Amino acid sequence: MPRMIARHLPRAPRAATLAVAALAAMMMLAARPAPAQETPPPVLSEAEKAARVADVIDAHILPRFAALAETTAHLADVARAHCTAQDTELRAAYDAAFDAWISASHLRFGPTETDTRAFALAFWPDTRGATPRSIAAMIAAEDPAVQSPAAYAEVSIAARGFYAMEALLFDDTLSVAGNADYRCALLQAMSADSAATSAAILAEWQDSYAEEMMTDGPRYRSRTEAVQVLYKVLNEGLEFTADTRLGRPLGSFERPRPTRAEARRSGRSWRHVMLSVASLEDLALRLAGDDAALGDDLTGAFEHALTVGGDLDDPVFAGVIDPTGRLKIEILQQSVQAARAVVRGSLGPRLGVAAGFNALDGD
Amino acid sequence: MPWTAIDMTSRRAFLAGMLASSLTPIPTWADAGSPAFLSAARLPDGAYVLCGLATNGGMVFQLPLPARGHAAAAHPKRPEVVAFARRPGNFAMVIDCARGAVTTELHAPVGFHFYGHGVFSRDARRLYTTENQYDAARGMIGVWDAANGYKRIGHFESGGIGPHEISRLPETDTLIVANGGIETHPEAGRAKLNLATMAPNLSYISETGEMLEQAALAPDLHQNSIRHIDVNAAGAVAMGMQWQGDMTEVPPLVAVHRRGGAVQLLDAGTELHRDVDGYIGSIAFDPTAEIIAATCPRGGRVLLFDATSGRPRAPVEAIDACGVARHGRGLIVTSGTGAVGALHGTDLTPQSRHNLAFDNHLVRL
Repeated sequence: MPRMIARHLPRAPRAATLAVAALAAMMMLAARPAPAQETPPPVLSEAEKAARVADVIDAHILPRFAALAETTAHLADVARAHCTAQDTELRAAYDAAFDAWISASHLRFGPTETDTRAFALAFWPDTRGATPRSIAAMIAAEDPAVQSPAAYAEVSIAARGFYAMEALLFDDTLSVAGNADYRCALLQAMSADSAATSAAILAEWQDSYAEEMMTDGPRYRSRTEAVQVLYKVLNEGLEFTADTRLGRPLGSFERPRPTRAEARRSGRSWRHVMLSVASLEDLALRLAGDDAALGDDLTGAFEHALTVGGDLDDPVFAGVIDPTGRLKIEILQQSVQAARAVVRGSLGPRLGVAAGFNALDGD
Repeated sequence: MPWTAIDMTSRRAFLAGMLASSLTPIPTWADAGSPAFLSAARLPDGAYVLCGLATNGGMVFQLPLPARGHAAAAHPKRPEVVAFARRPGNFAMVIDCARGAVTTELHAPVGFHFYGHGVFSRDARRLYTTENQYDAARGMIGVWDAANGYKRIGHFESGGIGPHEISRLPETDTLIVANGGIETHPEAGRAKLNLATMAPNLSYISETGEMLEQAALAPDLHQNSIRHIDVNAAGAVAMGMQWQGDMTEVPPLVAVHRRGGAVQLLDAGTELHRDVDGYIGSIAFDPTAEIIAATCPRGGRVLLFDATSGRPRAPVEAIDACGVARHGRGLIVTSGTGAVGALHGTDLTPQSRHNLAFDNHLVRL
């Protein structure tokens, strides 16, 4: 049965249609460029873009990767002396390093992508359970890869990085599996591997990538390209926090998925949302530069998300299973999406980033 | 309108100077005859529709959709199409193009969603749809009885994760599936869950689900999601990719495969691959099968290649261009700006402009 009928379209006399079509065709060929319907904000010059990219590199990117290198090195040091899962000093060092990663986790381009370094630090989401499976297999076999950094860098990427360390330290089964000495060696190998990866990211930024981003060359042909990459990772960071960090535990109303919350075993799920939103706010504001009105819009949206998040007392989003708790987490998710809408609607056009329907959201 | 905003100051403009001519009267489908093309679209008020377009790009009909559409499959014999919801949608609508009316709705089974593409069997008795059995993250091909009210018959594996566009080798029932490799789950929106391990492929599958052949890219290109395909009369498959890796090192985004052979990458040059943001929206052979056109909405371009030699031709600038389909002696291109243009060689001629945003695909009827 035909239920939906064609949208009723205005009928035009045939002669008029042809006349209008001819006129439209003439206008198409004659007029250029297209007159704007509303005056868009002026797009930044290359020099203004260069200033913003430089600020993002110096005040956003480099400090974050320096912090990551420092805290992971400290974690590796601590793990050499304190490698039991319950050790408070170890856990504090682990938390500090993981915080540093989350605050940098949106900066997924260039040095983080060399040799798949970002995945080696952060294999999540792990939808197939590869991390616990790989670690269990290593413990069961007492895999000798723990004996050398070079060998450990070749193990399954799911057994490397912060989420692997979390499973080893906090998972009820893995934290007591097999031989304690082997688990200790495994933690030491994982933490040393993450420190080496983090040091390599920082070194590449300091040695070449920061300059390449600021200089016309094969990697970046203009500051416009550098701004586009920064804008892209800002968008993707917000999307990841809304859809993955919050979306995965939310699941659906019929089937919430509390066990899918990020870093749930270490109680860090909510913390990651807050750290990432705060870090993304810093990036957004630096991209907005001295545009006060835009800065106010962005600050309003991000601070609203952080306020909504701050009111939530649910460290691992366990509340997704009951209607009241769930609603609060959904509102937090919506506030992150609202911040992204301001980024797309206001910051994107100011930076001159293409915002077509298909360009923005294709498949 | 946000989708018109692009820095065009130094560029040769596509469809330059076109006014947002929302007042142009549009004839009804009865006035204009049968549609030649279909495209999903978004109206200025945010509502989603399916549009039937005439050969000159004029609007023949608009049907409301309950959510955003993606592509459609044209029935080889009847004036009938199946229009699909966009991933992760679970509806598809069978539309009688002669009446501009929905005759049947398809719903993906519980635990499955559509990816937005489908194809009919050679005899038109079966419809095959790309689907995600999402809790298992398994790519599936759904089989529907098109001769019998589109009843669900069954499904078989697509040969990979994230099957997207599906086509058929001409004059056969061999299905061709672009398994994009990206795992998603409807409960995580459109988030990509397996970028570290993704492994796209092109699969040739018999109509009963037997895997006949699989082609993949080199291991270092495992993040080049094979998403859209077109097949020419000789059975060559053009693939359009979407790069998920580092944006400063974008590899070729278009390739050709012939059964039994190796994948041939068509290289437009690193600069252009980056200009288009590593992203192909749709792909089509032109009617002579001499040219492959790949739309690049993020780069505001259509990449063109010589299909035989694989050499790139000069790209064409086209804001937010995404839909592309064969027509006459050339190609028709649609844009998120509402523009429709005719592409002959490297000449893009504006045809018409509508006050809406055409979505990802243009489907020839």
